[in-house]
Amino acid sequence: MTTTSSQSQSQTSNPVAPRSGMLSRVANLIYWTARYLERAENTARLIDVNAQLVLDLDAQQDSDDPRAWEPLVYVTGDEKDFVKLYGETTDERNVVEYLLFDRRNTSSFVSCIFAARENARCIQDQIASEMWETLNTFYLELKQHDYESYTQFGPSEYLSQLKLRIQQLYGVAESMLPRDEGWWFYQLGRYLERADNVSRIIDIKYYMILPPNHQVGAALDIVQWASVLRSCSAFEAFRRSKRGQLTLTRVLDYLIRDRAFPRSLLSAIIAAENCVRQIIADADTTANAKHTFEQLGKLRAHLEQTDIDAVIASGLHEYLDQFQVKIIGIHTDVGRAFLQSEYEEVATA
Amino acid sequence: MAELFADYDTGPFYDEMFTATGEPRPHYQRFFDRYAQLNGMEELVERQHTADKTFERRGVTFTVYSDQAGTEKIFPFDMIPRIISAEEWRHLESGLRQRMIALDLFLRDVYSDQKIVNEGIVPRSLVESCSHFRKALVGVKLPLDRHVHINGTDLVRDQHGTYCVLEDNLRTPSGVSYVLENRQVMKRVFPNLLRNYDVRPVSNYPIDLLDLLHSLAPPDVPEPTVVLLTPGVYNSAYFEHAFLARQMGIQIVEGSDLVVENDRVYMKRTHGLAPVHVIYRRIDDDFLDPTVFRKDSMLGVPGLFEAYRKGNVALTNPVGTGIADDKAIYYYVPAMIKFYLGEDPILPNVETFLTSNQTELQHVLDNLPNFVVKSVNEAGGYGMLVGPKSTKAEIESFRAKIIANPRNFIAQPTLGLSRAPTVCGDAIEGRHLDLRPYILYGKDVKIMPGGLTRVALKRGSLVVNSSQGGGSKDTWVLADTNDPTPAATEATAGRITL
Repeated sequence: MTTTSSQSQSQTSNPVAPRSGMLSRVANLIYWTARYLERAENTARLIDVNAQLVLDLDAQQDSDDPRAWEPLVYVTGDEKDFVKLYGETTDERNVVEYLLFDRRNTSSFVSCIFAARENARCIQDQIASEMWETLNTFYLELKQHDYESYTQFGPSEYLSQLKLRIQQLYGVAESMLPRDEGWWFYQLGRYLERADNVSRIIDIKYYMILPPNHQVGAALDIVQWASVLRSCSAFEAFRRSKRGQLTLTRVLDYLIRDRAFPRSLLSAIIAAENCVRQIIADADTTANAKHTFEQLGKLRAHLEQTDIDAVIASGLHEYLDQFQVKIIGIHTDVGRAFLQSEYEEVATA
Repeated sequence: MAELFADYDTGPFYDEMFTATGEPRPHYQRFFDRYAQLNGMEELVERQHTADKTFERRGVTFTVYSDQAGTEKIFPFDMIPRIISAEEWRHLESGLRQRMIALDLFLRDVYSDQKIVNEGIVPRSLVESCSHFRKALVGVKLPLDRHVHINGTDLVRDQHGTYCVLEDNLRTPSGVSYVLENRQVMKRVFPNLLRNYDVRPVSNYPIDLLDLLHSLAPPDVPEPTVVLLTPGVYNSAYFEHAFLARQMGIQIVEGSDLVVENDRVYMKRTHGLAPVHVIYRRIDDDFLDPTVFRKDSMLGVPGLFEAYRKGNVALTNPVGTGIADDKAIYYYVPAMIKFYLGEDPILPNVETFLTSNQTELQHVLDNLPNFVVKSVNEAGGYGMLVGPKSTKAEIESFRAKIIANPRNFIAQPTLGLSRAPTVCGDAIEGRHLDLRPYILYGKDVKIMPGGLTRVALKRGSLVVNSSQGGGSKDTWVLADTNDPTPAATEATAGRITL
């Protein structure tokens, strides 16, 4: 009797996706919609933290230093592209235009929202119409914005509006999307993108340390770490986490290895691993799918075993760089396993 | 007369709302009374703005091809609905049913015994020279023995108010999503207007369409998979494809999502291939299968036609229906009705001259400035000459085209199409319109009560196509209040369809 009831309970509490899966093209579009949204949000966060840092620098009489905005261009990994479009001048206007409003930059905020909206338009039949409408409305408004909008509202106010709009999209998705395979691809895209982006936000600090007269542990250093935490919405959570004083090791440990904080690298990878587990749960697992799952497991273990002091000693930037390369590898694995439309192997098997 | 319509002039045309003496027609009376309560043009324009915003937000758009960037535009929506009385609708419905049945019989005949050709009712040369005639289909058995499932027939009213058929659209008739969206927006913008007006609901269409698609599945498949095949997101009607797929709960696919193995169609999913049984295709025959039709097409699926011929997959509309879209074949539909059904056509064709016929050709050439000349295979208002609105040079250039290829054209006298009051800027003016009802033919003929009313927004223009600056109106078919078994209306629709 007990067995029967617990069985039926587990069936209802753990429903599984249909064996056949969804269209690969659609899964790909959902995955990328989430990546674009997450990327846009993090771009806004990145600019926000830098705008605040620059304000802090103000007191140190560094405010006119053109290098104040330079790190952002490096962190997004597109300095060549930037120089081609804007020359060598990395002032606020150029950097913000490039990162927020320039459609020639395929990773700019507006490009990401446009791409997410184009993807969503392709799969309007698959996602909730509320989600499509929310995204469409946001894009139609954003289309009319420019650098003037940014300065008119002030960076902090304007960027928090952008972040809020993206959070609204997450909220709509959260409450509207059925928890089927599409949802797990959506989440997978989101968490892989987040892991990559947060590692880049941490990396921005590496560039900020560059000025030669800088001292680790100085007052300015603390202020900067607080800003990095804030850009991940992690400041208050960090304070509550009983990790004590704000030090380099503690902050890095929190952002890289905290299990509970949703924007830490480890949490993002655990979430991504769970997504792949859900996707392959009820399917005949292919070699590629299995490989993807294993790679995520390895990366999770790597993060869990990371010794932060050793990382600081041997080079934080290199550590983060390697991490980003691993994320790219997993992204390629996901594509090969689920998203490409080439099914010759399956068809002949 | 209410303020809003105080300066309204019906002109020399049949007006949908007002009689020649300026009185609202009986089925418009209640609407007229309600509109009189509006706060003048200002309120109307304000609500118009709300409606436009709603369309934009919902992405109810079509893509303009001529524009490089593929600009999406909303299909302009007019706030004054077109109202059709129950009696008028009964007449239209019986005429459309009769026409649909005859067209199906014609297509079946053309692809089997060809009686109508053998008996000389329709010239053999005309059929064989038709670019949509698919020889490969002769003798192929189709599900339900049905050769057309969906038709969007364009109707117009002449000076006397008589409904005539302007053309049939049997390949991939579009626009039905706008009918459904128009109604949704009308309900939002004028929530009180539709209440208790006995307007028949249109929202059942996707369910009827899905039923039709299911009925075409191979008989040995208990739970058939139905998909909608689109050319892709850049197609001008992509919004409609996504809309219908969502409403029916079916998968929208592109050619590259499908693959044919052993004459069976599959779609590529994340965990492998899954069989497909019925395809509502929104691409023309030419692009369906590069191994049989256009070799350069990237939109279709290699091997699809063979799977279709073997009956492993059903297509809506069937391959080869386009032959009845040919405007020269259209000329013979009244003869088909007579031939197959032994009945007189309930809905007449618009008077038409075939330029492939020597004597009619001469008549057309002699009176070219008075004719509308249409290319037999063009749609969307492209490739036509509107004689009275054209320059001498345009007319002469068309004359040369006709003489070079008389098979490719038909000519119709310019009609004084009916008009209806339409919001134009800050005034209400009469604008010409047409009506495209949607007819489904599976086991039975089903006609959605209403259809797409397209309206020429440019003053004096007769061209209603969206690609030519046309707009649309919500189309209200009124329930028959005398009928002892009343039809569902918008007021009761919620209980019936949800």
